[in-house]
Amino acid sequence: MRTALIGSGLLVIAYAVIGAATDPDVKLPGVLAFLLGALVAHDAVFLPMVLAVGVLIGRYVPAEHRTAVRAAALVSAAVTLVALPLVLGLGRDPGNPSALPLPYGRGLAVLLALIWLTALAAVAVRRIRKRFARSRGTRDG
Amino acid sequence: MVRELGAGLSRRIDRRLPAPPAALRRGPWRPGTFRSRLRSPRLTSQLGVALATAFGVCFVTGLLSHLIQHPPGWFGWPSRPVGLYRITQGVHIATGLATVPLLGAKLWSVYPRLFSWPPARTVVHALERAGVALLVAAALFQLVSGVLNIARWYTPMPFFFTAGHYRVAWLVVGALLVHIGVKLPVIRLALARRPRLTRPGVSRRSLLGAVAAAAGLITVSTAGQTIAPLARLSLLAPRRPTVGPQRLPVNKTAAGAGISVGAGYRLTVAGPGRRVALDLAGLDALPQYTVVLPITCVEGWSSTGTWTGIRLRDLAALVGVDPDRAVVEVESLQTGGRYRTSTVAPPQVRDPLTLIALRLHGEVLHPDHGYPARLIAPNRPGVLQTKWLSTITVRDAP
Repeated sequence: MRTALIGSGLLVIAYAVIGAATDPDVKLPGVLAFLLGALVAHDAVFLPMVLAVGVLIGRYVPAEHRTAVRAAALVSAAVTLVALPLVLGLGRDPGNPSALPLPYGRGLAVLLALIWLTALAAVAVRRIRKRFARSRGTRDG
Repeated sequence: MVRELGAGLSRRIDRRLPAPPAALRRGPWRPGTFRSRLRSPRLTSQLGVALATAFGVCFVTGLLSHLIQHPPGWFGWPSRPVGLYRITQGVHIATGLATVPLLGAKLWSVYPRLFSWPPARTVVHALERAGVALLVAAALFQLVSGVLNIARWYTPMPFFFTAGHYRVAWLVVGALLVHIGVKLPVIRLALARRPRLTRPGVSRRSLLGAVAAAAGLITVSTAGQTIAPLARLSLLAPRRPTVGPQRLPVNKTAAGAGISVGAGYRLTVAGPGRRVALDLAGLDALPQYTVVLPITCVEGWSSTGTWTGIRLRDLAALVGVDPDRAVVEVESLQTGGRYRTSTVAPPQVRDPLTLIALRLHGEVLHPDHGYPARLIAPNRPGVLQTKWLSTITVRDAP
């Protein structure tokens, strides 16, 4: 099973490389530069930034609320990445207003507000529940 | 037998490589740099299974789109169901976008392994790491280029998107198969073992929940570009299905394609033995039909239009070719560009829904929708719905 997977995988990689090298539409140096650029940008820039935010959350957010804040940060990062090229709007063509017709900056702001309001609600619910449990605990005790 | 051979080979290349001097073990290479207790083979395996499924869906739907646009001899594509391509391409884009948080979480879960020490224990280990680097680079390439493409931002991509995205898709699949083969024992063990008791901090389930929430939010925020009822919720949709001239989006404008239609316009219909040149009055004089068909862009948006025009099969018959056994080449007034011409295969020529459209939503075609005449056929990518037609060549299907 493992041999079959690895063997067929290597064959598919070979097919991809030969295909890319012989396809006149593929600008090989451009593709290689983008592959390398994506890898470096992710491993040396993006992920260290994510980890730094994680450390900051660990330092400044009380332990009981960390899950909600980390989850909101994760969702925010993913939505922002997808939205960024639309928000920048550098692909807009003034001659074709039907492409990219929406105010994406405002759209992203609305989504981020929604995400953080949800996190805030989760934090509030947790607090209220805790207080409720504590007061019931004293009464019962 | 194969296994023994493999074992013999692996003994030979499994020799330990000399470790680099310990003084070089600095920064993230120091032990204890990454302290999240959330990372585990189980988490990575669960994310991996989901990610492999997502890339599988994108590969199959993407390959299908490629085959429809560049059909090899063995490939045939039906004209029905009318909206099949709309679904497969919608799924391609939606799955790709939803994969963004999934890939992010997966790479976060294995990030400390990037700084394992020594960097390469054996030759096999070094090769395995090179394979992982290839897989990560190819996977990032696909998602980043895909997102840039639907935002129509081509400048950061120093290659022709369609060709690069297609070739690197094969690279992802190959590197993924190798990766699964290498990791299979780890994956099996991690997924079979019951997880240990919950530890402090974020739970695995919360992380998976957050990834799913991100994927869901991205889907709702973009899918309205093809699922019309969602349009108002899709704040990040690159298109609105009803926004554009005559309430339909446009990809290439008449000005962008350098089209000017003069009074001397004729649509030439050429058969093996007959040739007819039709002016606007001549086109209007032919029997007109009205059909409801979607226009589906490879970029993932789609919109339904009501088109009126001449059946392509009637034009085939007009120049003496049996419409049930005909193949058609349509040509645009465009002087250049990749999509100047397209071939209509027999199933679509035969289909009475395939029109040379002259009207959209009851009005004469807007220049950006292909005035004076355009092709509209069921179950066909938008780039092949050729606009501003100048010549229609009909041949007997082989």
